[in-house]
Amino acid sequence: MSAEPALLSLRAVADAIAQKRFSSREVTQSCLERIAKWQPHLNAFMAIEAEAALAAADAADAALAKGKISGALHGVPLAHKDMYYDAGRVVTCGSKIRRDFVATTTSTALQRLKDAGTIRLGSLQMAEFAYGPTGHNSHYGAVHNPFALDHITGGSSSGSGAAVAARLTFAALGSDTGGSIRFPAHFCGVTGLKTTYGLVSRAGAMPLSQSLDTVGPLARSAEDCALLLGLMAGPDPEDPTARVGPVPDYATSARQSMKGLRIGVPHAFYVDDLDSEVAGVLDQTIQVFRREGADVVQVELPDQRQLAAACQLVLAVEAAAFHKRWLIERPQDYGPQVLMRLQNGLAMPAVSYLETMRWRGSALAAHNAAVAGVDAVVAPVAPVAAPTIAESDVGNSPDAEAVIQRLTRFTRAVNYLGLPALAIPAGSTRGGLPIGVQLIGRSFEESVLLRIGAAFQRATDFHDRVPAIA
Amino acid sequence: MTRPTAKEIKAVAEVAGVPVSAEVATRIANSIGPAFEGFAAVAGTLPFDLEPATFLLVQVPQARK
Repeated sequence: MSAEPALLSLRAVADAIAQKRFSSREVTQSCLERIAKWQPHLNAFMAIEAEAALAAADAADAALAKGKISGALHGVPLAHKDMYYDAGRVVTCGSKIRRDFVATTTSTALQRLKDAGTIRLGSLQMAEFAYGPTGHNSHYGAVHNPFALDHITGGSSSGSGAAVAARLTFAALGSDTGGSIRFPAHFCGVTGLKTTYGLVSRAGAMPLSQSLDTVGPLARSAEDCALLLGLMAGPDPEDPTARVGPVPDYATSARQSMKGLRIGVPHAFYVDDLDSEVAGVLDQTIQVFRREGADVVQVELPDQRQLAAACQLVLAVEAAAFHKRWLIERPQDYGPQVLMRLQNGLAMPAVSYLETMRWRGSALAAHNAAVAGVDAVVAPVAPVAAPTIAESDVGNSPDAEAVIQRLTRFTRAVNYLGLPALAIPAGSTRGGLPIGVQLIGRSFEESVLLRIGAAFQRATDFHDRVPAIA
Repeated sequence: MTRPTAKEIKAVAEVAGVPVSAEVATRIANSIGPAFEGFAAVAGTLPFDLEPATFLLVQVPQARK
């Protein structure tokens, strides 16, 4: 066992606390020491609550001493993207507008993790209102990539990606509306699960686009994502879109091999115009899948450009509608890029918006038919590894939207179709920047993705890379 | 679905209650225009009976039973 508890996996640290090999205080102190060391370099935390975290850890230890264990993650310290409402606490949503907003409710996903025994380290940085794929934030500064500090983390769950990669938290909630979990996972070398639309309650999570928003974890492994998903998924009376039905045993699925599964490789779009190192990692990943017993075949997907365009239009309109009051009353309080992107939603007539929503069902049916013969599809998350903070700081320049769309072209179709996707570390550039791939599954079949992802991680060690401060 | 012009966007934004300047309308047109073009092949071709809730029926087939 690692002498530094913060370096353990989520499952290992939960077991270590439950079996009293480490106290919750020792674990929390270990995380806080790493946070103190890394935060000045990363800017990953929005707020660090050291005293409260240690007090909660002591309470968890005292309860355990009396034989009381609150759940599967008893005494495990975590931090989450600063958009999950936690009653009585400030939730900035990465914005100036909500700098002092105090939540009056607690989000369902967060409450379920609390019920499992987790304690709070603080809150994590994010793109303003979760509307940005790079990790820039004009109010609170950019979050820096732990593997190369002058490079981006990806967003919008920028702090979540950086903090999990640097082992400051064992896992973190993110959100994915157009790729916001998968980008930080890809750029920072962690595992991120974009859940099926409707699997995890969105109640108490800041909205961006009601038709596309999903809640999911970023963690150090697929196995840890499986553990978290099992705790969070399931029906919720506070969110009528949350699916009613039993929650599968994701943890058991993650222990199975990928032998006998069929994995599809798109013959076009996702393999076009890739950076050579990203293409190389995709090829090597396919080889690992074959070596581990999966059958890899080519698949022909429907036109992904149309799906990506539909996602962009739905997101623009729904985000603008959520923000309309502030667009009228406080436009000056938005960062330039977020204001620009919110204003994009004003361009679309209602009939056109409804047309993009009416197409969604038949588009999903066409996708399902195309992937009927495979269990999952493998694709890159982005065409490149993490660009530098300077070169991707496009603000509201005339070509900003084009730059954003190029970066996000491989993620948006998944959001429009409401599909699950698991981003896993799969290699790195010659300069040491992580490169991930995404496994795209069928609706509500996260178990298959976690099975493939965990089997891949038992055969490789890309997810075990820990960055060091130069 | 045709790409909206800056003039059309200015009018739509005003109706929406969030008026924008001509300069911002031009910027929006350039920014969101490619998405309209990307969806153009689908726009105006959908059968009469489709509605947004069809998505949920496809997503959870057992809900139909």
